[in-house]
Amino acid sequence: MRQQLRSRRAPTFPHGYRYRLDDQDEVNQNYLADEEEEAEEEARVMRVPNLEEEEKEEEQKEEEEGQGQPTGNTWWQKLQLMNEYLWDPEQRMSLARTGLILVIYFFFYASLAAVITVCMYTLFLTISAYMPTFTERVKPAGVMIRPFAHSLNFNFNVSEPDTWQHYVISLNGFLQGYNDSLQEEMNVDCPPGQYFIQDGNEDEDKKACQFKRSFLKNCSGLEDPTFGYSTGQPCILLKMNRIVGFRPELGDPVKVSCKVQRGDENDIRSIHYYPESASFDLRYYPYYGKLTHVNYTSPLVAMHFTDVVKNQAVPVQCQLKGKGIINDVINDHFVGRVIFTLNIET
Amino acid sequence: MAPGSACPLPPTPPPSRVLCCCTRWSSGHQEGEPSGQRGPAGPHTSAQRCQYCTLVLFQKTPEIYSVELNGTKDIDKTDKGDGKEKYRGLKNKPSNCKKNHQIQEIKEELDLNDHKLSNEDLEKKYGTNIITGLSSARAAELLARDGPNALSPPKETPETVKFLKQMVGGFSILLWIGAILCWVAYGIQYSNDPSSSLDNVYLGAVLVLVVILTGTFAYYQEAKSTNIIASFSKMIPQQALVIRDAEKKTIPSEQLVVGDIVEIKGGDQIPADIRLLSSQGCKVDNSSLTGESEPQVRSCDFTHDNPLETKNMCFYSTTCLEGVATGMVINTGDSTIIGQIASLASGVGDEKTPIAIEIEHFVHIVAGVSVSIGIIFFIITVSMKYPVLDSIIFLIGVIVANVPEGLLATVTVTLSLTAKRMAKKNCLVKNLEAVETLGSTSIICSDKTGTLTQNRMTVAHLWFDNQIFMADTSEDHSNQIFDQSSGTWTSLSKIITLCNRAEFKPGQENVPIMKKTVIGDASETALLKFSEVILGDVMEIRKRNRKVAEIPFNSTNKFQLSIHETDDPNDKRFLMVMKGAPERILEKCSTIMINGQEQPLDESRATFHTAYMELGGLGERVLGFCHLYLPADEFPETYSFDVDTMNFPTSNLCFVGLLSMIDPPRSTVPNAVTRCRSAGIKVIMVTGDHPITAKAIARNAGIISANSETVEDIAKCLNIAVEQVNKWDAKAAVVTGMELKDMSPEQLDELLANHSEIVFARTSPQQKLIIVEGCQRLGAVVAVTGDGVNDSPALKKADIGIAMGIAGSDAAKNAADMVLLDDNFASIVTGVEEGRLIFDNLKKTMAYTLTKNMAMVFPFMLYTIVGFPLPIATVTTLFIDLGTDIIPFIALAYEKAERDIMNRKPRHKKDRLVNKPLVLYSLLHVGVIVTLGAFVVYFTVYAQAGFRPSTLIGLRVKWEKDDVNDLEDSYGQEWTRYQRQYLEWTGYTAFFIAIMVQQIANLIIRKTRRNSIFQQGLFSNKVIWVGIASQIIIALILSYGLGSVTALNCTMLRVQYWFVALPYAILIWVYDEVRKLFIRLYPGGWWDKNMYY
Repeated sequence: MRQQLRSRRAPTFPHGYRYRLDDQDEVNQNYLADEEEEAEEEARVMRVPNLEEEEKEEEQKEEEEGQGQPTGNTWWQKLQLMNEYLWDPEQRMSLARTGLILVIYFFFYASLAAVITVCMYTLFLTISAYMPTFTERVKPAGVMIRPFAHSLNFNFNVSEPDTWQHYVISLNGFLQGYNDSLQEEMNVDCPPGQYFIQDGNEDEDKKACQFKRSFLKNCSGLEDPTFGYSTGQPCILLKMNRIVGFRPELGDPVKVSCKVQRGDENDIRSIHYYPESASFDLRYYPYYGKLTHVNYTSPLVAMHFTDVVKNQAVPVQCQLKGKGIINDVINDHFVGRVIFTLNIET
Repeated sequence: MAPGSACPLPPTPPPSRVLCCCTRWSSGHQEGEPSGQRGPAGPHTSAQRCQYCTLVLFQKTPEIYSVELNGTKDIDKTDKGDGKEKYRGLKNKPSNCKKNHQIQEIKEELDLNDHKLSNEDLEKKYGTNIITGLSSARAAELLARDGPNALSPPKETPETVKFLKQMVGGFSILLWIGAILCWVAYGIQYSNDPSSSLDNVYLGAVLVLVVILTGTFAYYQEAKSTNIIASFSKMIPQQALVIRDAEKKTIPSEQLVVGDIVEIKGGDQIPADIRLLSSQGCKVDNSSLTGESEPQVRSCDFTHDNPLETKNMCFYSTTCLEGVATGMVINTGDSTIIGQIASLASGVGDEKTPIAIEIEHFVHIVAGVSVSIGIIFFIITVSMKYPVLDSIIFLIGVIVANVPEGLLATVTVTLSLTAKRMAKKNCLVKNLEAVETLGSTSIICSDKTGTLTQNRMTVAHLWFDNQIFMADTSEDHSNQIFDQSSGTWTSLSKIITLCNRAEFKPGQENVPIMKKTVIGDASETALLKFSEVILGDVMEIRKRNRKVAEIPFNSTNKFQLSIHETDDPNDKRFLMVMKGAPERILEKCSTIMINGQEQPLDESRATFHTAYMELGGLGERVLGFCHLYLPADEFPETYSFDVDTMNFPTSNLCFVGLLSMIDPPRSTVPNAVTRCRSAGIKVIMVTGDHPITAKAIARNAGIISANSETVEDIAKCLNIAVEQVNKWDAKAAVVTGMELKDMSPEQLDELLANHSEIVFARTSPQQKLIIVEGCQRLGAVVAVTGDGVNDSPALKKADIGIAMGIAGSDAAKNAADMVLLDDNFASIVTGVEEGRLIFDNLKKTMAYTLTKNMAMVFPFMLYTIVGFPLPIATVTTLFIDLGTDIIPFIALAYEKAERDIMNRKPRHKKDRLVNKPLVLYSLLHVGVIVTLGAFVVYFTVYAQAGFRPSTLIGLRVKWEKDDVNDLEDSYGQEWTRYQRQYLEWTGYTAFFIAIMVQQIANLIIRKTRRNSIFQQGLFSNKVIWVGIASQIIIALILSYGLGSVTALNCTMLRVQYWFVALPYAILIWVYDEVRKLFIRLYPGGWWDKNMYY
């Protein structure tokens, strides 16, 4: 009876080992590295009912190892782990596995890339190259002035050219594109007072109307190369931000008017506007976008502050006026208006 | 060959027949002694048990091992020997040294010799008078000196410390750093340019706000769940009857002082450690102190050197069961024995719960990832010649984007939701994190009494007419199927009914019989209820058979006798009924009743012994019953019975039958134990009971399963000596406390590791600690149930201590992490299930959270490195973390289990909450898709407004210049700064909504980890849909409702942009279904290993 008891478990051992050996042979011959583990796993599962004890031993061993490992936060152990990850000498397959992972990730990301390419492509299909889909974010039009040197405070001393020379250079540079010769060569002289509408295909090149530097008269820098800065009568150019397809409403050109923003109105006694209408002529609208409207030059209005109180800062607000023009957005101080200070010292 | 098949046991439907025979059980009758016999059996066992605990407490005095010998045979002798061995064994245990040292200290303070003093010495010592008591003034003085007579509550962390812990725990410290960096950055900016924007100040403030809000929330949640406990453990203030100023007064027991003379009566809790001065039939229940459930007699005699064993001492928190006594208070509050054990519990270290470790691990991963990405980023940006200040801001952005701010607070919510759910199922969780611990439990060390059993004696078997009958031991007794037609049964039932002093408490007419309260001891109660169920109104029967004389049970007689008039008006004879220890009863009998006929006893003696042995072998308490009709001529109606002189015959009676009782397992227990076993949890029974009883209950409860055998079983089966059996052939083991004492820790480990079914019997509650430590050495997560004060160190030591709500002492409840409100083992199984479920669901939550990190970190990378206008602002990421994602987090906690979680092994400690596949799959698979989807929306918004992606590259610097108000876009249009800003905010909103839309898909796929969503049921968890609705509503409110609030950086988004990310959401769903499909198709395969989280 007792012998029987003892033998109860005994025969299972050889059987178990045989199983594993067979299995490994087969594996070595037939299977890929990756499937080897699977097969072994299966074999282990099948052995379980018979080899509980062995299993337990294994578990214990594992646990012992486990106890050793987690405490190993030292660099050396981490390095070893890393090394094992790259090349596990027992399983001889880590590299293969890493390779497989890389391949899978490669395919995954490649297909994602394909998906995003398709998406972006459809996106571009739905977007016209000539006409922005929505222009509501860029409307109403902003206003900007020249010269611009990172500041809207014009502080200069008439008698010290160094203080205003950079304005002159900036203006000169800005107006290079408006030189009469260049304008005459590139652009057409279109009739004033009406929109310069060019029908035809979107992708056709559009002609641009001339805006000659000479329109600015005293502020063109042609007669007075210092744009009035040397005499304490500075010229400031104002331009409206381009918006594709923008047309002033009802054929009324947009006008510019400047005044003292805060304080005594009489601080500015006179302003001359060039062109004299102080407006942006209708013929410069609409704008067709930079792709087709290549030589488009924004129309300008020059303000010539001929008589401003000297030696004190004068805040000036220049506003666009016209039907449908918004110039009182609270958050945006550059929509339909621009505020700057003049502080001319003598 | 299946184990056990070599030793075929008879097929065993009722567990009663599992044992082949019981030759070893020579002293089986001990258990069979009548219940009323408190004398020898009770004190003996208690003495034995006291030994174990006092061994720990008082090891300096080895003489305490001399056990009260009272002729109860051999076990005592072995006990005595064992005592010394135990002592030696303990000394050899190095692991115990520290604890012993601690206990040593306690011992030195506790120089109890009051029990040895005479009353006069006591009076002198405590300056009191036995007759008049203390004076009020003196009492007040002493009260001021010693403090109130209450256990000082376990040291609580001050609320402020708890609060501050919440403020700096987890991710908070990262966010604090972020906020401080924000302000530092602003400080530097301000010193350079006083007009610089306040954005950084706001961001810092928001971060601090987030920390404070989530911290406060988590604190509130914690506090709420603690309050449940606080209210639960609050007790009705105890009153004590005290003699002061020569007057009897009732005062709150908290005000008792040393030297007070108190009176106690049955039902009272002993208000302090008391030296008895006088006593009348006083019995106390010392179970909370010694784990011994037998009531013990108390008198004013000094009977033992050991204060715990001497009869003239009563201890705080034990209960007086019956009788009255007067005593002098000798110790109060923390200096009581209980107080000292309780303080021992607080000395045992509190260990981190597994879930706390896992969450910490997660926090470490996330913090590590975000800080290292942040620093790499910082280096990149600095080397790209960004100003250091900007780089710091980027660093903050990366950290904030990485940190799931709302997660930890919601984890608390999730845990408390589960805690609530468990509380409904009678598991009250004290420590929120312990909710999950049960789920990872691999060993449960369970008490027997009350937890596994119903905690009441119940008639289990009857023997009459030479036959053993089985009685129904289920909770309601409803199904008594044994043969009730025999005349013997009629006689037996009469004896059971009449020879019984137990009575129902009046006023319980509508209460089911089994639930009625009974005045009387456990065995009599069992008999009373048994007869009430079968015969009907017992009190009425007793009235009809008027009792004329009675000898109550006492330890010398070992029987109980009463004489009644019969209810037969024609029969003028008196009926004498008797019950008691079977041998004693048999000695007094000359005849036996078979089938209602009296027959000479001789032939039946053998069958009696067989039956007695068999019932005893089942661990049952056996009682014998006999009767005698007193001849009418000798004992006329007027005869006056004198119980002192015994003027009536007490021999040559007629033996009627045997009846055995046991505390049966609760009916839900076997099933629960099976469920535990299939869940890979080892259930170890630890009990103070006798091994035979323990084993019988273990078999009934399934703790030792039907086909497994102990070494003894095998030995018996093969008819060889126990020593010859190969220990490891036995699956089950019954280990007694004495054996345990002799084991080295290594031997214990071996035992615990090699037997799957273990019962520890005759163990002291202190040994529980040793067992728990042994289990923990094996790497198991151990749950321990306990109720006594002396269990509290083990409860504390266990990974999860489970105290009994009904039977448990306060000290045990304090030390435990969980309280079983119904004391039912089956509730633990519920706890296990909930714990496992919450772990799985937290895993899903973590995966869900991690996914969007990619989509929140990538924008910063592209912003700084490629120079896109910022796709999503730091503040907007907070909308996701603290807005749209919050309810989905909680919703995932309501997800049902995918498969039967009770069929898998307990979680291995290496099986992390957040493991590699989870991180990789969440970040590098789904996360990447989410990122791409969000960027497609971002590009769409910018392109449709005029900025094509090609224009965006490197645009950042110009884009952010405040003085550039005519920035050209791809169409030649010119933008003011504010217009660009507004577009940027639109971009934030679009990006945010794109993430939100994809998070919906992400939420749906996280419902399951392996099964298809359609297998699980898309609508199986309604809360998920609440979560999805909340996401959409919050996004709608942010975009349309609060779109005008500039500080939030949200704008009204065109409706069509809401749907741009939809294909990606669908892609996520499809991809995850494919992943799950492969996992299901190739379980254990490469894909399963790398893609299953």
